[in-house]
Amino acid sequence: MKKVILLLCLFAATVITFKANAANMPADTGKAAAAPAAPAPPPSTDVPLTFSGSVDTYYKYDFSGHANIPTSFGNENNSVSIGMFDLGAKKTVGNASFVGELSFGPRSDQSIPTAGYHIQNLYVSLNLSSKFNLTMGYMSTFIGYEVISPASNFNYSTSYLFTNGPFQNAGLKGTYTFSDKVSLMAGIFNDKWNVYTSSAYVNTFGAQLTITPVKNWTAYLNVASGYTSGTEFDLTTTYQITDAFKLGLNAADFTAGAHYTGGFSGVALYPQLAVSKAVTLGIRAEYFMDKSGTYGAYPTTGPFGNVFGPGPGESVTGLTFTANIKAGPLTLIPEIRFDSSSKSDYFTDNNMAATSSATQFLFAAVYAF
Amino acid sequence: MKTTIIAIIFILTAEVTMAQQELLSFDEHNKYIYYQIVELPGLNADTLETRGLNFLKTQFPRVKLKQETSLKSVKGEGKFLTYGGISVLKHENGEMSYLVSVEFKDQKYRFWLTDFVFTPYERDRYGNFVPKAGIEIPLESASSRLEKKELDSYLNETGTFCKQFGEKLKIYELNLPKQEESTKKVVTDKW
Repeated sequence: MKKVILLLCLFAATVITFKANAANMPADTGKAAAAPAAPAPPPSTDVPLTFSGSVDTYYKYDFSGHANIPTSFGNENNSVSIGMFDLGAKKTVGNASFVGELSFGPRSDQSIPTAGYHIQNLYVSLNLSSKFNLTMGYMSTFIGYEVISPASNFNYSTSYLFTNGPFQNAGLKGTYTFSDKVSLMAGIFNDKWNVYTSSAYVNTFGAQLTITPVKNWTAYLNVASGYTSGTEFDLTTTYQITDAFKLGLNAADFTAGAHYTGGFSGVALYPQLAVSKAVTLGIRAEYFMDKSGTYGAYPTTGPFGNVFGPGPGESVTGLTFTANIKAGPLTLIPEIRFDSSSKSDYFTDNNMAATSSATQFLFAAVYAF
Repeated sequence: MKTTIIAIIFILTAEVTMAQQELLSFDEHNKYIYYQIVELPGLNADTLETRGLNFLKTQFPRVKLKQETSLKSVKGEGKFLTYGGISVLKHENGEMSYLVSVEFKDQKYRFWLTDFVFTPYERDRYGNFVPKAGIEIPLESASSRLEKKELDSYLNETGTFCKQFGEKLKIYELNLPKQEESTKKVVTDKW
């Protein structure tokens, strides 16, 4: 029996090796070439169904002994916790394509309208020409620097600008590419962010002007404006200045919509330096302000109004030091974060007394496929 | 016995993995190059040039071509996608740009692909894989920025692409007639 297995292995390996080495043989000179039957067909634009996604888990310890910093995700304190299982599928046939992205887990539940629906992206797209594309469905927002998927963020914890801005917009948008350096997206979206269906209207206007002033520097000028959802102006830009050094910037100003006054504004800087082929170090330095008004006012019950952060008229600065350590598809993310507010109104210390600062350590592992 | 079998499979698998990247050589400037001279007796330079251009324009419509009519040569810049993952999880993980040159003479032509530069892809917020802005890694210096396994994979894909390029070009140069597909017809009035 062993001899039979050995012979089969040798035979199979020989066949495989021959096939591989056949590809390694010198190219034909035409003298002994076997004539193919027909010219090769023109290249096809059809792409098979592809899957991708990520899995993430983390441990966080806030030095106050309890969860303190109110930004999105990574909330559980002193616990090995899970983020989400994210699975995206994409298919393109000719000029038409679709993307469906499902997610499961606590991070998913905090980032979608209804826990249990599991949809991050669901849209169809059509290239009407090589320069013009139409897309309709439920899509990640075009606003901001950070995203929901942990595999696409450098920092594991998130910024105040991300937490308080839109996550997704459902709507119809068209993108026209003028050149390699300029493109413009404009669209009409549901009246509220982060919901699968509009409350009554499809009346939020959104646009994104993408500019590449110089090679490796891209800037996105964004606006989303609607009677209900309010108006947010946003600048997001990244510049890969050298092979090792990248600088990102996000600045935004939001004015609340119907029935509210106030809003928020802020700026975040993201310098990142690759110190080896496996390790990149980065800082997120953020300033965030809750404008005076009713939008961020604390309710009579519960800790926050519509702004996750300081109270109206107050501000917070956050300094986050993060490392990304790559091991193939796995990224290990140790991170330490220091937040400091202008008023002692929402951080608490070891004794649950109001304080103006919070510090947390976090270690995350993200596997992307 | 089990160890022997595993060892044999391991050795042969390693050999298979290496096969495609060995198609590439280094030129006098220490750059990776895929270089071939193909002889086609009975075909003059004009014919080979016309067919070669037809090949590039139909099979690689996105390649930016620059034709040197007097020298009977054509140069172009193009790129191809590289893929990572296995089975159903296989998807694009980068793109490789290259320079291609083809020169024609009576009864033969030569071509080479070189200046391979890799740009990794990342998944954007919409679930698409897009180039990572500002990252361009010449294959010759990639060992300092990519893991060996990754680099071997890209070298293999580059070797495979070049080999297929050469095979397809030759098919066009030979201009073999397209076989008419026979349509099976059913006669219904006689039975």
